[in-house]
Amino acid sequence: MFHGKRLDRLMKRHSGNDCAGAAQAKCAAPALSIVSYPHRVAHRVQRGEMRAPGDRLLSEVTALQRGRMPLIVLSALLAAGSGLLLPSALATAVDASIAGARSWPAILWLLTLGVVQIGADVAGGILTVRATSSATAWLRRAVARHFLALGTRSGFVHGDAISRLTGDAVAAGAVVSIIVQLASASVISCGAITLLAVLDWRLALVFAGSVPLALLLARSHLRLTADDVLTYQQVSGEISARLLDATAGLRTIAASGTADREAARVLEPLPRLGAAGGGMWRTQARMVWRAALLLPAVEVTVLVAAGFGVLGGRLSVGDLLAALGYVALGMTMVSQIPLLTTLTKARSGATRLAEVLDSPLPHDGTRSLPPGPGTIELRDVGLRGALEHVDLTVLAGTTLAVVGRSGAGKSALAEVLGGLVEPDEGEVLLDGVPIAGVRPEELRAAFGYAFERPSLLGETVSDAVGYGAWSGPAAVRAACRAAQVHDLVVRLPAGYHTPLTETPLSGGEAQRVGLARALARGPRVLVLDDATASLDTVTESLVDTSISDTLPGRTRIVVTHRVAVARRAGMVAWLDHGRLRAVGPHDTLWAEPGYRAIFTDEEAP
Amino acid sequence: MSIERLYGAALVGRWRAGVALLACSVLEGAPAFFSGRLVELSVDKGFGVGRAGAGIAWLLAFAGVAVLGAVGSRLVWHRLGTIVEPIRDTLVRAVVRGVLHDANPPRNRPDASGVARITQHVEVVRDATAGLLVQARGMLVTTAAAMAGLFTVAGSLAWLVVVPVVLSVTMFAFLLPALATRQRAVALADEALAGTAGAALAGMRDVVACGGEAIAGMALYERVGVQASAAMRLARASALRTVVIAVGGFVPLLLVLATAPGMVAAGAMTAGAAVGALVYLANTLQPALHGLAATASTVVLRLLVALRRLGETSEVPPSRDGGAEPANSTITVRDLTFGWGAHAEPVVRGLDLDLTPGEYLAVVGPSGIGKSTLAGLLTGLLSPQGGRVLLGGARVDAVRPAALHRMVALSPQESYVFAGTVRENLALFATGLSDEDLLAVCRAVHADELVQRLGGLGAELGHGALSAGEAQLIALARVYASPASVVILDEAMSHVDPATEGRVERAFAERCASEGGVLVVIAHRLSSALRADQVLVMDGAATLLGRHDELLEESPRYRAMMDAWIGPVPNASSA
Repeated sequence: MFHGKRLDRLMKRHSGNDCAGAAQAKCAAPALSIVSYPHRVAHRVQRGEMRAPGDRLLSEVTALQRGRMPLIVLSALLAAGSGLLLPSALATAVDASIAGARSWPAILWLLTLGVVQIGADVAGGILTVRATSSATAWLRRAVARHFLALGTRSGFVHGDAISRLTGDAVAAGAVVSIIVQLASASVISCGAITLLAVLDWRLALVFAGSVPLALLLARSHLRLTADDVLTYQQVSGEISARLLDATAGLRTIAASGTADREAARVLEPLPRLGAAGGGMWRTQARMVWRAALLLPAVEVTVLVAAGFGVLGGRLSVGDLLAALGYVALGMTMVSQIPLLTTLTKARSGATRLAEVLDSPLPHDGTRSLPPGPGTIELRDVGLRGALEHVDLTVLAGTTLAVVGRSGAGKSALAEVLGGLVEPDEGEVLLDGVPIAGVRPEELRAAFGYAFERPSLLGETVSDAVGYGAWSGPAAVRAACRAAQVHDLVVRLPAGYHTPLTETPLSGGEAQRVGLARALARGPRVLVLDDATASLDTVTESLVDTSISDTLPGRTRIVVTHRVAVARRAGMVAWLDHGRLRAVGPHDTLWAEPGYRAIFTDEEAP
Repeated sequence: MSIERLYGAALVGRWRAGVALLACSVLEGAPAFFSGRLVELSVDKGFGVGRAGAGIAWLLAFAGVAVLGAVGSRLVWHRLGTIVEPIRDTLVRAVVRGVLHDANPPRNRPDASGVARITQHVEVVRDATAGLLVQARGMLVTTAAAMAGLFTVAGSLAWLVVVPVVLSVTMFAFLLPALATRQRAVALADEALAGTAGAALAGMRDVVACGGEAIAGMALYERVGVQASAAMRLARASALRTVVIAVGGFVPLLLVLATAPGMVAAGAMTAGAAVGALVYLANTLQPALHGLAATASTVVLRLLVALRRLGETSEVPPSRDGGAEPANSTITVRDLTFGWGAHAEPVVRGLDLDLTPGEYLAVVGPSGIGKSTLAGLLTGLLSPQGGRVLLGGARVDAVRPAALHRMVALSPQESYVFAGTVRENLALFATGLSDEDLLAVCRAVHADELVQRLGGLGAELGHGALSAGEAQLIALARVYASPASVVILDEAMSHVDPATEGRVERAFAERCASEGGVLVVIAHRLSSALRADQVLVMDGAATLLGRHDELLEESPRYRAMMDAWIGPVPNASSA
């Protein structure tokens, strides 16, 4: 079976644990496997031949179903076989009827075949759904894993990422079902022609004349639909992305009463969607017309030929009916033409999934992090478009404030410093160890991040605070007390177990929950990226004091716009256009007019 | 209008196309009606009695009828787009409008479910509608035509066919509710998956920072697993449906085969008629019945479930109607009281406030204390539980919406930037401004450097192309460019550095003074208070209103706040 199951079990086992930040190593296994597995997928995909990435993914998905395949094939064969035997059984029974003689054996044989066919159909139906749903689930897990492993480096807009995970995985997951249906259709078609030949070779010859036509029909179809399908999916993705943009600006839209106009803006690509959709139907119409014409034409031709067979005494009237049945079965392939559209959808879905799985993953570190007091060193760190030649040391247990105008690179520095983003140049050391080589889960345990606008994740408030650290209720409560948010949480309808979706939090409240999340991990280093920006000054100083009380001696890096915060910090790093302009105590830097200008609205000289 | 009714109305609205489709159906059903009859004639009058010519002639007639049928199905497919695509458009419009008219969206997550709804449910409705129009309609026509044809060929056998068919269709109808429940479970699982995926993917920075990849993966895996097992439960329920229908199609065949020999022997039926009847049963009725059941159980259920899910969020609240015209931009607040929910502590209690044209108010106070709520009350987005807000003498919730939106502009903390040019983004509230005007506005709010960096007014902004601070500058320039005389900046500069914030606030203050407007700044930083004519301190229990220097003099609490912010700066004087 596929690896997702193993990972599932691993994760389930660990979800029951209650290991706080200190015992982070215990939780390493699930994090590691989640990150490592897509490597393997990508690797395997790379080993494939010159086929398109989407097709390689589809063949991999199909290969995963091999355990289920024998049963699926057996039921498909039984259904096909009984279906193929039915016309001749019917012919025998009909000949008896016409002769006015009731033949019980013939009727019983017919009954048996019918029962087998229905049973095989039902079993096959359930098996293919199982194959489809497990393939879809596998693809979703693989893509979710890859997105998570890409982390902050993902180049996919999240609206688009969601539609790949939800829509495209379904389309691609249906591949086994499509293949089985197409295969059984060809078995039935070939079998019907053979049986027709057994009945009378002339009939098979007449019928065979139509087969190349049918194949031609199928090929042109595939070519014609692909463009429209792709356009349709692209336009649909564009509308999704626009809608997501607009939902971010809902308050602006509500206040300005422009919902209708903005809806029109989101819907602007809609006519192109309709055009592509219309194109898909018209292509279908051309194909269906040819198919619809082909079937009766072949039926009548074969019937005429069979009629001469009846005249010549080679065939009975019942055989006429059997011939008609074989023609219908022989044309199964043609009636399955719409499946080719589904296959096209599966392939373009798989291509979009392969784009995700083929995006290269960063190489994670493997070193473990020895215990240390929390000294951070940045050596000639550069980050394209944000930071240049930053050399900085933050001594263990001290607080460093990072200040600068907006766009000076403060958040970039905060992200690079704790390994959230890898620098393009230079290196970052924690207690003398280059963090680029450290196992990610140990690195995350060492740094506690809080942001100005945190995304709170998990089901409940308690989940959100303990997120990623598997913190227990006691740790969660302590962290919330330190972040001055405990009183607010206990007044919620179900306290800490109130679902996040039923907890409308203001910016400042969300910030404090986000801060509690960073504190609950008990990290070696706290990185607060403007994480108290929405708090009033009184609450902020309370938070500051209680962090010192609950996590004494921790190194703290605080990105801030506030003088009071900079003043409280031991040292201040002053960033200007991505460069470190000065590092020193606030009172010393205050002498610089340019420094003062960051906090007041005076122009810098 | 509920989405089901909207769908129905859209379907009815395409009635011309529907009638055309029905006309095509008659053509499409012709082969089914004539198939058995013509085979009977070709046997009885042709091949069966040694007359090849007549046999072939009847079969050619069958071929002709088949061509008619093929023309019918081509027309059906060709016209499908004219019905299905407009219906899809209607639904997409309704969903998008429903999402954008939701004034109280979830606060800390992007509405990823909105995206899932639009892409998945709408596609389901589109496919299902097409499926119904092509397959179910076709199968129904075929079944009816075959039954009618059977009556013409062998009326005496008809009961043997009608009874089992009706029985199995009835049983099938009883199975539908259980199927519907399971189908709905699948849809719910789909949505839960999209919601969880959306939260994790949009909050990826936080997931990574927390080392939460494993837990995010677990949450996603669980959703994926739930979705897969819901699909399986549905498949098992559908299997029963397959059995019922298959038996219903097969039993008539056996009954006719058991009965016909006696009738042929007794001379009550010709051989051709027996063959014709069996042609109807085996080649037409049975496949049609299969198709009908497959379509009905999967397609109809998927359609209903998807429509219901779409309906839950596509409701557009009734638009407010008011006809009052404000005389000027004076804002008068009397005894204003508002709380979220009946039992919640009021966030605004008995507030009185007077703002005359040209006046600039700063609102300060701890976060979460209700400053944004006040903005909502002043703009008429929220209705107070007590007291009133007057704009130019008229109740703000009774002002004609168009006039209100022209007169009042709100710039919230979370800024709206859409994919389009910089020009389009800036001119959102102001039409007819030249590029020079727009550039002048950008200079005024110090966004000119940003606009230049982006590549000028014509530069295209992609999805999520701007940082939060840049997006706020664009949003501020947009409000500055608007004709609104009442401007409310609700922490609109929280991502902008203090120096820029000061300059932008002054620019808005000048705009307000020169145009006789009103400026309300919900302050992100206390420095805003220094610049304003009046300061409103919101701090839960007590509300203070006054000039900055008065408050500094009279209120120890205000003084403490200011001290904590700027602090006694010992070295400032020595600089």
